[in-house]
Amino acid sequence: MPYRIGVDIGGTFTDFALFEDGSQEMAIHKQLTTPADPSTAVLDGIATLLADNGVAVGDVDTVVHGTTLVTNAVIERRGATTGMLATKGFMDIPDMRLELRYDMFDLRLKYPPPVVPRYMRAEVSERISFEGDIQTPLDPDAARSAIRELIETHGIEALAVCFLHSYLDSRHEDAVYALCAEEFPDLYVSTSSEVFPQMREYERWTTTMINAYTRPMFDRYLGSLEDGLGGLGFTGRFYMMSSNGGTVTPDLARRFPVRMMESGPAAGALMSAHHGRILKIPDVLSFDMGGTTAKGALVRRHEPLKKYEMEVARVHEFKKGSGLLVKIPVIDMIEIGAGGGSIAEADDRGLIQVGPRSAGADPGPACYGRGGEQATLTDANVVLGYLDPNFFLGGEMPLDRVAAETAITEYVAKPLGLSLTRAAWGIHEIIDEDVARAFRIHASERGFDYRGCSMVAFGGSGPVHATGVARKLRIPRVIFPLAAGVMSAFGLLVSPLSFEVLRSNLVFIDDLGDDWVDRYLRLPVDQACGYLIEAGIPVNDISLTLRLDMRYHGQGYEIEVTLPTDCGPDLAGVTALRPHLKELFEARYAKVFSEVFLEESLEVMNWKVQATGPETAASKGYAVMDASPEVTGALIETARKGNRLAYFPEAGDYVKAEVYDRLALTPGAEIPGPAMIEERESTCVIGPGDVACVDAHQNLIVELAVAPVDAASRHEEVKA
Amino acid sequence: MTAAPNYDPVSLKILWDRLISITDEGVSTLIRTAFSTVVREAYDLSVVLLDTDGELLAQGTQSIPSFTGSSSETLAHMLAKFPPESLAPGDIVVTNDPWMGTGHTYDINVMAPVFRKGRIAAYAMSVTHLPDIGGQGFGSEATEIYQEGLRLPVLKLMRAGQLDRMLIDLLRMNVRVPEQVIGDVMANVACVRVLDRQCNTFMDDYGITDITLLSRQIRALSERALRSQIAEMADGAYPGEMTIEGVKAPVTLRCMVTVCGNSINIDYAGTDAAVRNGINVPFCFTIGYSIHAIKCVAGAHIPNNGGATRAISVTAPDGTILNAPPPCAVAARHSVGWFLPTLVFRALAPVVPEAVQADSGMINMVNFRGTHRNGRPITTLHFASGGLGASADYDGEPTLSTPSSNAAIPIEVWEAATSITMTRKALRPGSGGAGAARGGLGQEVFMRNDTGHDLVVNVMGVRTDYPAKGMHGGGSGAAREIHVNGCKVAQKGRLVLAPGDTLERYEAGGGGFGDPDARPTDKAIEDKRLGLV
Repeated sequence: MPYRIGVDIGGTFTDFALFEDGSQEMAIHKQLTTPADPSTAVLDGIATLLADNGVAVGDVDTVVHGTTLVTNAVIERRGATTGMLATKGFMDIPDMRLELRYDMFDLRLKYPPPVVPRYMRAEVSERISFEGDIQTPLDPDAARSAIRELIETHGIEALAVCFLHSYLDSRHEDAVYALCAEEFPDLYVSTSSEVFPQMREYERWTTTMINAYTRPMFDRYLGSLEDGLGGLGFTGRFYMMSSNGGTVTPDLARRFPVRMMESGPAAGALMSAHHGRILKIPDVLSFDMGGTTAKGALVRRHEPLKKYEMEVARVHEFKKGSGLLVKIPVIDMIEIGAGGGSIAEADDRGLIQVGPRSAGADPGPACYGRGGEQATLTDANVVLGYLDPNFFLGGEMPLDRVAAETAITEYVAKPLGLSLTRAAWGIHEIIDEDVARAFRIHASERGFDYRGCSMVAFGGSGPVHATGVARKLRIPRVIFPLAAGVMSAFGLLVSPLSFEVLRSNLVFIDDLGDDWVDRYLRLPVDQACGYLIEAGIPVNDISLTLRLDMRYHGQGYEIEVTLPTDCGPDLAGVTALRPHLKELFEARYAKVFSEVFLEESLEVMNWKVQATGPETAASKGYAVMDASPEVTGALIETARKGNRLAYFPEAGDYVKAEVYDRLALTPGAEIPGPAMIEERESTCVIGPGDVACVDAHQNLIVELAVAPVDAASRHEEVKA
Repeated sequence: MTAAPNYDPVSLKILWDRLISITDEGVSTLIRTAFSTVVREAYDLSVVLLDTDGELLAQGTQSIPSFTGSSSETLAHMLAKFPPESLAPGDIVVTNDPWMGTGHTYDINVMAPVFRKGRIAAYAMSVTHLPDIGGQGFGSEATEIYQEGLRLPVLKLMRAGQLDRMLIDLLRMNVRVPEQVIGDVMANVACVRVLDRQCNTFMDDYGITDITLLSRQIRALSERALRSQIAEMADGAYPGEMTIEGVKAPVTLRCMVTVCGNSINIDYAGTDAAVRNGINVPFCFTIGYSIHAIKCVAGAHIPNNGGATRAISVTAPDGTILNAPPPCAVAARHSVGWFLPTLVFRALAPVVPEAVQADSGMINMVNFRGTHRNGRPITTLHFASGGLGASADYDGEPTLSTPSSNAAIPIEVWEAATSITMTRKALRPGSGGAGAARGGLGQEVFMRNDTGHDLVVNVMGVRTDYPAKGMHGGGSGAAREIHVNGCKVAQKGRLVLAPGDTLERYEAGGGGFGDPDARPTDKAIEDKRLGLV
């Protein structure tokens, strides 16, 4: 049976998963990322993984790849020398941004500069109205000489073509594209109508500039990967993970690198959704926490929620509004500056402040003993007994507990008059609360009811905090997948080929005629399906998801309405949905906002079409090869490593907690909290009253005890 | 009786952040449900929680600064008419009175008591700028408040959940875009209901029985934090003065900022008298921006609440333009009030030179009324910001409003909404004041009336005669200019654009900071290369 490989490049490690379609078995591998040329680690790792498992490269039929290369290129400004051609009078829009302050009291606001500097922009006479009429025809000669000038003076390698209202009518942008293809064939050209045809010029143009800026680099990278895979003897299909969790062909990835921005993190959310599917849990909170950031995603009915904009390269810590706004279909992630390296200190109000400043990996937390003096979250987790100083990274890196205690005492406990334990607990608890708050706001903004959901937790710090966060959200169950550290690589394999096209086209629903489907949906449907057909998917295997962004006329924010249809590219039966649009909208509106309906007319703003190919074999399930011990039916006792004291507020003190080796636990094992279940990359903290069970896939499933009285309210009792 | 502190630094941090996040959730509800462009694109809103002492407890992070000091006053007016014991669950109290609310009739203040087990635990309030309120329309031409549209005293919009239909009908009859206005009022109702629900959940989650006891401790900590920063400033009385464009005559504002120990008093004695135009400032608005100024230079990170403002006192003689009584016209009160932070920065420049900012180019809000070429009525504002003033070692950002946060309306959204064509929106090179740190650039905004109908435009241009001054030797930014069909026109007041007419706005640059000769060479070269000077 054929094999498939998932490869996910992270900041420190590149992770690999090898999956056999027939047996549904999976092998994993992990090695250091090679930042100078990331393809080196990818190719080496694949060779190693195949050799270790005795699989011939000829038996591998698919490689799926996820990477944050595009995001990093924007953050580190390693993209191409890029020019911009704008509608006359508007080339400064990238510098003027949204004219929005992200902080009301900061007199020194900073923003990232546009990826195309002002002197590499040019303007051309042309204009299309908001109704889609040509007000001023394009002057092709002026366009030609402007582009030539940019090439000759600045040596631009890529060009972003950014005209007003091109989302509605792309004729002028298309004409410039054709002109370039003819006369400047080496230039990488991106038009704003192709990249993301949505209303709002600043966002669309910024997205287009970033796309152009990253195309040459990404093209070369994919080229070297393809060559390298060919060199290994690989003749199968090679796909990229895109930000919205669909895989795409390398050709499509080359055209739209901006869509690969969240390619890595998307895989984590897909992995969480996948576990929900196997365990028949439709609604899941995906929670990933590492050294500097925590990421969350909501999964509704087995699908991670999506959005259509994200910010990259934030310059003011994690402050919303301080980055570059790009519009792409992307899994809707929460990102907060909370991780093991988050620094804790006393602020001038006399409170504990934790993060978003991070000690990073170097010098890192005080307990790393690499010169870090300040107290961090990891230091607190050591003091609280959650992390074993002698089993960090499986014991490869001993931690200094005394240094952790000293840091917390000096920087937090003493200045605030707290005991060491209370200070350490405070640091831990504040991070739990930050994460819970981020989930709460995120969920409420999306009308997502998380009560009764399950959480899937992974990443180095995620399993230490998951039960605490879940308790705050009153979530009854937490799932810890095995080998969560490399699970994103597996997540890459569960997703089918898919591509989403969005078009802005404002129309009142009362004005939709009998031909509405042909008029508004046909073009995006043909485009989205076209991309899949190019990739070799038979037309009959394509399924469509149709979503409309609707709103009351005059309202600024749209509600996404998914049409209740599972039609194919023929759009059969969609026409008949017209009379139901209003009730579909109102049902969503009531869920997200309120029951108050208005007499204002309804309009459709964006038309979104997602075309999806057939499901992959990995979407059914998997088992990890060689992960379980030889002894079958092992008693829990063999997995028990000993015990240690750990702090639990429910107990009011440090209590003895049993410590288990995660890999030695076999299906069916049941462990009551308080307990620590350790694997190489992380430790799952199980609280008193919680019960952890190992399921058939070796997932650890923790049923939480009733939410305890919160730490805060214990203090209210003092009063009276 | 004040309760002794009961929450330790761990609990307090958690509870406090949660309360702020409740107001943030209210803000996001407003932004997503509001019709008014200025609410959803420009965050012209405020969402607050107040305790049963009537003091501000938490404010949504994106709220605009003018509302910082005003909400507890607004609540006091509301409770004077409807005492707490007369309020029932589901009651919604409103007012848009400029002197009780936030300084002009456009701002609707909506309050819901938060009930907990039959008793009021807190008050939820939100404020948004309505798309219209009748009268002359948004502008500075009125001579008395009576021309500035519907002025609602403190009223109940809902009684125990029942909407007052008469009030809705009254609103509907008096405004130009009734569906949108009522939609926005209801968006505020949705917002305070979210706050009510979340407050109750919060109390459940943490077993809190009395929010006010918690609030007192939060306020005390905030007060202490701000006072300790003020204590580091050198004691003394520091004068500030500036002259700005009035409608008919220039207006001079004066202040004396007195730092005394850990308190600051800002007194506006010597400021010009109120005028017969809508640029007068009700005192609540003066207080809001005075507090804002101090928070910018000391304690920017301290969340807004009643304690964070206690160390600051503000006084202004009755009848001055900064304490204008009814029936003064006040619709464009911001065109004077927004200068207060700059005035205070000028006064404090010798005391805290590293913390202050040179004058900024300020935002230009232009009101348009007419008919879309699709036949629908237009009544809307267009914002375009000038450049920020420079600070020590900080070049002012281009095109950013201050002190309020008002985002630009995207060109494509604007054109679809109005059928007014934008023909240019670009940086205005050379408009930033010279200095060791350069002032931020203003912008050029050109429009053409393609609606096919006459278009009534109200301009309230500032920085037209008195450009943004530099600080500590920095040069001034370029002045703002308003042209019609290429010719300079009166910089304030009402214009009528016939079909095909063009309006050209040159928005002001920010002032520079420090000696221009001391500008680092690399920055000067980069400015040239980018074509900014």
